[in-house]
Amino acid sequence: MNMLDFLFFIEVTLSGLMAGVMYSLVALGFVLIFKASGIFNFAQGVMALFAALTLVGLMEKFGFPIWLAIIGTIAVMIALAWLIERVMLRQLVNQEPIILFMATIGLAYVLEGMGDILWGSDVKVLDLGIPQGAWEWLYDKGVYIEKLEMFAAGTAAIMVAFLAVFFQKTRIGRALRAVADDHQAALSVGISLHTIWVIVWSVAGIVALVAGIMWGSKSGVQFSLSLIALKALPVLILGGFTSVPGAIIGGMIIGVGEKLAEVYVGPFVGGAIENWFAYMLALAFLLFRPQGLFGEKIIERV
Amino acid sequence: MNRQNAAETILSVENISLSFGIMKVLDDISFDIKRGEIRSIIGPNGAGKSSMLNVINGFYHPQEGSITFKGETRKQMAPHVAASHGIARTFQNIALFKGMSTLDNIMTGRNLKMKTNLFWQALHLGPARLEELENREAAEQIIDFLDIQAIRKKPVGKLPYGLQKRVELGRALAAEPDLLLLDEPMAGMNSEEKEDMSRFIIDVNSQFGTTIALIEHDMGVVMDLSDRVLVLDYGKQLADGLPDEVRRNQDVIDAYLGVPHEHA
Repeated sequence: MNMLDFLFFIEVTLSGLMAGVMYSLVALGFVLIFKASGIFNFAQGVMALFAALTLVGLMEKFGFPIWLAIIGTIAVMIALAWLIERVMLRQLVNQEPIILFMATIGLAYVLEGMGDILWGSDVKVLDLGIPQGAWEWLYDKGVYIEKLEMFAAGTAAIMVAFLAVFFQKTRIGRALRAVADDHQAALSVGISLHTIWVIVWSVAGIVALVAGIMWGSKSGVQFSLSLIALKALPVLILGGFTSVPGAIIGGMIIGVGEKLAEVYVGPFVGGAIENWFAYMLALAFLLFRPQGLFGEKIIERV
Repeated sequence: MNRQNAAETILSVENISLSFGIMKVLDDISFDIKRGEIRSIIGPNGAGKSSMLNVINGFYHPQEGSITFKGETRKQMAPHVAASHGIARTFQNIALFKGMSTLDNIMTGRNLKMKTNLFWQALHLGPARLEELENREAAEQIIDFLDIQAIRKKPVGKLPYGLQKRVELGRALAAEPDLLLLDEPMAGMNSEEKEDMSRFIIDVNSQFGTTIALIEHDMGVVMDLSDRVLVLDYGKQLADGLPDEVRRNQDVIDAYLGVPHEHA
């Protein structure tokens, strides 16, 4: 392998890693909610879309400066979490997981409709001043890496570090894990499930906002954004539904895997591997290691 | 043990009836618990003992009757509210946070002792950090008290059964409760572990002055530990009194020996 080939390999791997982090951002939101309440939140992708729409809307329609728009959107996501708890979760306490899952499908439609009515359905440009284009320093050395993706990776790293400390070292973090482990025991030490659910959905909403910002900056804020949730599915199957590090590493494996497969295997099978690689990998995992790389082994009839 | 100076009633249960559908689980139960005493609830399987504890800590909502705890009368209460009023408990089938370490389980027990809000918690700074340290100290005292220093960092799901029971007691103690409900704390233990657990219960009661309501099957343990004993059978109140009185009560003997009712 000569130097140029090697640099190309590095470039493909790095850009795969970065793309993977973008998947991880979406997967993270799923993991948070699944961990704390055992609900697979079908609406997570739409929440990212809704957050991005709200952000752009606040900036365009109301002329908010960036920082105020971000704070405003966070407030909206927290209010949304509170509403979801009041209107949806509270009514469905002790129901089967499948019923809660169905409810989140309904939630996805409601949110999509609300986004449409409030902010309109046209494609919007999201410009927060996040640097775009190639990273010159590496570009000079012959490797092309998007600045935006570097930025996303950095943001994801900070967010994961933050969540790790929050989960491990604080009272509310412990309460979240306690609820995930055993509802009754959590109640018996004075943890209110309702409060915890609002907090979890708020945090998932903020994570969705970050994912929405990154994806919106990359490809514009449009309704197809909600489909990124589909790419998060294989990430979750790989990393395990209950593991935060799993979501990150799963995203990276899928990102790198599909880029490498596209470049090195693609030519032999006519390309477009990128579109199905993640799902094939997920399928293989479902067959041989259904709990994922880091998930807890839960044996359950579905 | 300190029956003489236990005059004040901390909990009084009046005419509680609880049914699930047509199943009557508790039928017109009334008793009281005095501050500082160890009160046992005994009875054959299915007598309604665990249901009674579940009513007291708010898991079950009785159809009839009322409960007065520390002077406040209520018909029902959410479990996390009961906890905040000073009722802590352990479970018949251990309900620990299995993925968490011993220390984290006990720290979670201090949940209600910690007050800083989400903002400080999220930053993990200032008051939240100070509070964390103070409560950590209290948790370490409980760990010392229960002699479980060696398993401080171990995930509790991997601990042997007897130790899990002890950690669960620790988590309940961490809340510094006024009333501690213990649902078969010695079930499944060997005699050595039972002795340890009995000693802890006596120490909790005498050192911290914690009032204890205890469900237990081992009659030796019950008779040794309890100040007073309540006997339930098929959801009905069979007897209530001092251990010696209960032991001699003909109804109780019949219930335990299973005398056929038609000949009784």
